[in-house]
Amino acid sequence: MIRHLFTLMWNRRRANALLIVEMFLAFVVLFAVGSIGTTLWRNYRQPLGFTYTDVWQLNFTTGQQPRAEQFGTLQQLLARLRSTPGVEEVALSASNTPFSFNDSRSSIEMKDEKGKTKRSINNVNVYNVGPELPKVLGLKVVAGRWFDRSDVASGANPPVVIDERMQRAMYPDGESAVGKMFPFDKKEQRIIGVVSAYRTDGELQEPLSSVLWQILPTDTIFLPQSILLKVRPGSGAALEKQLADDVRRIGPGWSSTIKPLAEMHQSQMKQLLTRPILLGSMSFFLLLNVALGLFGVLWLNISRRRGEIGVRRAMGATAGNISRQVLGEILVLTTFGLGLGLLVAAQFPLLGVFSVQTSVYLTAMVLAAGLLYLLATVCALYPSRLAAGIQPAVALREE
Amino acid sequence: MNQFPTPATQPAPVVAAAEAVIQLTGIEKIYQTKTIETVALNHVNLSIQRGEFVSVMGPSGCGKSTLLSIMGLLDEPTSGTVAIDGRAVTSYSDRELAHLRNHKIGFVFQSYHLINDLSVLDNVELPLLYRSGVSGKERRQRALAALDTVGLGARTRHFPSQLSGGQRQRVAIARALAGRPEIILADEPTGNLDSVMGEEIMDLLLTLNRQQGATIVMVTHDEQQALKTERIIRFFDGSQVN
Repeated sequence: MIRHLFTLMWNRRRANALLIVEMFLAFVVLFAVGSIGTTLWRNYRQPLGFTYTDVWQLNFTTGQQPRAEQFGTLQQLLARLRSTPGVEEVALSASNTPFSFNDSRSSIEMKDEKGKTKRSINNVNVYNVGPELPKVLGLKVVAGRWFDRSDVASGANPPVVIDERMQRAMYPDGESAVGKMFPFDKKEQRIIGVVSAYRTDGELQEPLSSVLWQILPTDTIFLPQSILLKVRPGSGAALEKQLADDVRRIGPGWSSTIKPLAEMHQSQMKQLLTRPILLGSMSFFLLLNVALGLFGVLWLNISRRRGEIGVRRAMGATAGNISRQVLGEILVLTTFGLGLGLLVAAQFPLLGVFSVQTSVYLTAMVLAAGLLYLLATVCALYPSRLAAGIQPAVALREE
Repeated sequence: MNQFPTPATQPAPVVAAAEAVIQLTGIEKIYQTKTIETVALNHVNLSIQRGEFVSVMGPSGCGKSTLLSIMGLLDEPTSGTVAIDGRAVTSYSDRELAHLRNHKIGFVFQSYHLINDLSVLDNVELPLLYRSGVSGKERRQRALAALDTVGLGARTRHFPSQLSGGQRQRVAIARALAGRPEIILADEPTGNLDSVMGEEIMDLLLTLNRQQGATIVMVTHDEQQALKTERIIRFFDGSQVN
């Protein structure tokens, strides 16, 4: 019967060309949406590596204050913040704080013993953070240790903390990175610890390897302009006003903005989800059109083929056979459209388009194919029941 | 010949003599709309013996085709009993009726009813598609044998649109034969053909009846062709007339 269905549909391929094209386009759209959706879902399921509840970000600008004085003022501000009731922990950070849409990226070159580059690790997120960061964001150290007082005078090999993704990128065979040298900017640094993750770009962005350096209190070159504050649960506008007033009072000409990370997270999610949701909505309406078109064409086909259905019944087909025939035909047409679609979709992993993992494309292909078959089946259910209900004697007489 | 099924509930009663391959008893067929009631068949009692070649004649609208549909289990009578091989089929399910049609009955229609998008061979294979236990190879062999019988063994890959009317009707007969049925029901098989082609088809049916012992019931308007058959049953206004 399957051979019969394929033969029949192949012989009717010209008459059904538009349906096949429709299926092909529907598959391509589903594949695109599926690829984006799968990527987002996979990213979302990766751990962020930190918690942002009751964490505020305080960004400040130093106005016209001479640079030499800015470092001293910052220390005063930090002391004031630490002593403010309602503030539990304070950590400095460069501007690439969580959900800020700021990033600082670099490439790392892994070299062999002779100094030749073995491979490059690209798109590494680079962070300068205060040593209090784990207390503020709950970063989890999974190997080695976090920065401590002994690292302030670490000499020739400054300490660095990396995340697990970076460790896997550097040592794919599973070797621990703790104690190893980290090749960066000609000066080798010692890896003292590994944190599970620090994904400041948020859950929906592709997870990248991360490297964290400590902001030293003695540093007079780099002035961080973000402070992350762990506040007491339930803190609100009063504390926010007090902090802003403190910044103005301590830093002449300084100004600040304070935002809860939860709010920034929500805003980032909205922003990042807008395009996929728009695309998804457009795809939904497109598929709805495809479904309605398919339903209409099938219905029309049934009324045009009443004679053929009558003959099949006369030859011994049961009502169930007729129903399965109609369903089978649309599934075969779907397979033709799907075949064309898969040819196109297969080019993406083969050519490495958009640097997306092959498994994402494969998942999207399976999802798109499954959805397309489901769509075709749902659209064919009612027409197939109509076809099964045709009285053979009436259909043959009408012919 | 293949066995046909009995309903899952009670075995069907034997209602007629064993030699009657089709037995119609008190058949009535009434088409009813909201305003009109049309009596297509009025209390028809008819017995078709095994190996008989019977023609059914009568003016248009007298109920010939309805009779054939009821004999072929394509339609249900309003009242009365249809028995095939002595078993009443009244309580048969759709599946059981389809099984009977597939194994016992071959249909030939006036307008051929071939599927234009299938080759001649695929058209002839059609009844065997609905028969379980027949392999693809066997299907093909049986279809080729049926096409040889009607003299179209060289046209297997043609499509219906590439054939003449007579050839199409031969394909339709081959399709009816492929399932090796005991009964062939032919509804004006020569109605769309010129006299020469009509004769060819008639000769073919006569050969099938005489050489293969097929039971044939043929609806026709052609008196000359009807005279070639063993028995003529005449209908008028839904009733059998002598």
